[in-house]
Amino acid sequence: MSEPAAVVTRDLTKYFTAATDLRNFIPRAFKRKPPVKAVDGVNLRVEQGEIFGLLGPNGAGKTTLIKMLCTMIIPTSGEAHVDGHDIVRNGGSVRKSIGLVTGEERSFYWRLSGKENLRFFGTLYGLEAREIKKKIDELVDLLEMGEYADRRFDEYSTGMKQHLAVARCLLNDARILFMDEPTKSLDFHSARKLRRFIKERIVGQERKTVIFTTHNLQEAADFVDRIALMDKGRIKALGTVRELKEKIKNPEATMDEIFEHFI
Amino acid sequence: MPFKKAGAFIRRDFLIELSYKSAFLMSLGGMFMSVLTFFFIAKLFGKAAAPYLQEYGGDYFPFVLIGIAFSSFLGAGLGTTSSAIRQEQMLGTLEAMLITPTRASAIAVYLSLWNFIYSSFNVLIYLLMGKFVFGLAFSISRPWLILAILLLSIVSFSSIGIIFSSFILIFKRGNPLNWIISSSFELLGGIYYPIAILPGPLQTISQLLPVTHALKALRSVLLGGQTFAQVRTEIMVLLAFSVVLFPLAIVAFEYALKWAKKDGSLGRY
Repeated sequence: MSEPAAVVTRDLTKYFTAATDLRNFIPRAFKRKPPVKAVDGVNLRVEQGEIFGLLGPNGAGKTTLIKMLCTMIIPTSGEAHVDGHDIVRNGGSVRKSIGLVTGEERSFYWRLSGKENLRFFGTLYGLEAREIKKKIDELVDLLEMGEYADRRFDEYSTGMKQHLAVARCLLNDARILFMDEPTKSLDFHSARKLRRFIKERIVGQERKTVIFTTHNLQEAADFVDRIALMDKGRIKALGTVRELKEKIKNPEATMDEIFEHFI
Repeated sequence: MPFKKAGAFIRRDFLIELSYKSAFLMSLGGMFMSVLTFFFIAKLFGKAAAPYLQEYGGDYFPFVLIGIAFSSFLGAGLGTTSSAIRQEQMLGTLEAMLITPTRASAIAVYLSLWNFIYSSFNVLIYLLMGKFVFGLAFSISRPWLILAILLLSIVSFSSIGIIFSSFILIFKRGNPLNWIISSSFELLGGIYYPIAILPGPLQTISQLLPVTHALKALRSVLLGGQTFAQVRTEIMVLLAFSVVLFPLAIVAFEYALKWAKKDGSLGRY
């Protein structure tokens, strides 16, 4: 039996209504703003072992799409399967198969050390104490965290905070990793090092699937296997960089030109 | 695994608490000052309150000491989960927890555990202060009964607290229910005065509150040396509150979480 695709979506849509307050619970009593279409009929298929890039300007719907696939947002309509599990009906099974890295500097406990943070989240992933210790030691070594691992999170540089975020998403040995603008706050050198680590180690050796969002066109071109260009909630183009260049009939096109053509 | 996960939350919160070293000493000082305040208030009343306190030995100071010790427990139960949820939202750690396979309603329960341990420790400190500083005599021949009362109280109060936290998930702040319920418990629960001095209708309302029965049972055991048979009614009432409120709390939390996920506002505060 063949492996299920890492991610499959069918007409996945998400509308957001205005901010929630008591008025939302009183039907037709107050005039409400029209809903915002954040993700609009997205159809995607990501195969196991791919690095799949999701590109688009700010507000394109990339983060909303990622959050739906990670079961943090419930879609308005459509469906999606992550590692063969329905994101709405089998959210628990989806969460066992995924890890998430964001570009946010928050999401850790600032007064705990890196190791203590990882130990806490490792337990939430259902790992036994011995397993967690072994995993933490491996990841600290792999991500070259050194003495930082025993220091408090509030003493970390931005780059080291991202290393810890990557370490956390690798704790449970998830098959599918969502990375939402993980290089956003990093300098050029750190960003390149992280991308190399993802490509060579996480995908190349560990055979995981990575869905990676960015608004940096060149980063996407150098790094991902396939790209989806997203704008105003819709997928505008999908394929490898070469396929996108063929679509616009310009084999020498730069990423800027590809982007401008479709967005 | 649930015990290990509970342990992880307790360890996390203990380590964070430990990193604020002076706060613990200051809270000890605060506790002593509040006990001293009530000591002198009790001295002012003298025996005036005795007719209302016969079943508790007639003395106001031990009566109110147990009340203020227990009120820290009450505060932990009613407020902890909702303030913890808000804190996790502000830290950005709520989504990081909810993306793990650990069930959300279990997380809601785990979030309050450290505060209950800390509050139990506070209760012990209050009682030790009462005994060794102010020379009070407590009956501690049935520690298992005291523990049962405290455990059932934890379940009842934290269930209400989890319901409050459902409001935080949806509305992000401004939980008016918390204030209404906390104030009602303080006014009608017998924390600072016996409910016998309340007008009839208010006494009836106070019987509907779990804090009233918890305090009655606790005082009866600690001050009156009563047995399980003598406080059985209060224990059964607390058990009934726990059995009804806990599943209700889980349902409310799961509903609120689903609402927040549909709204897309889970990580917002």
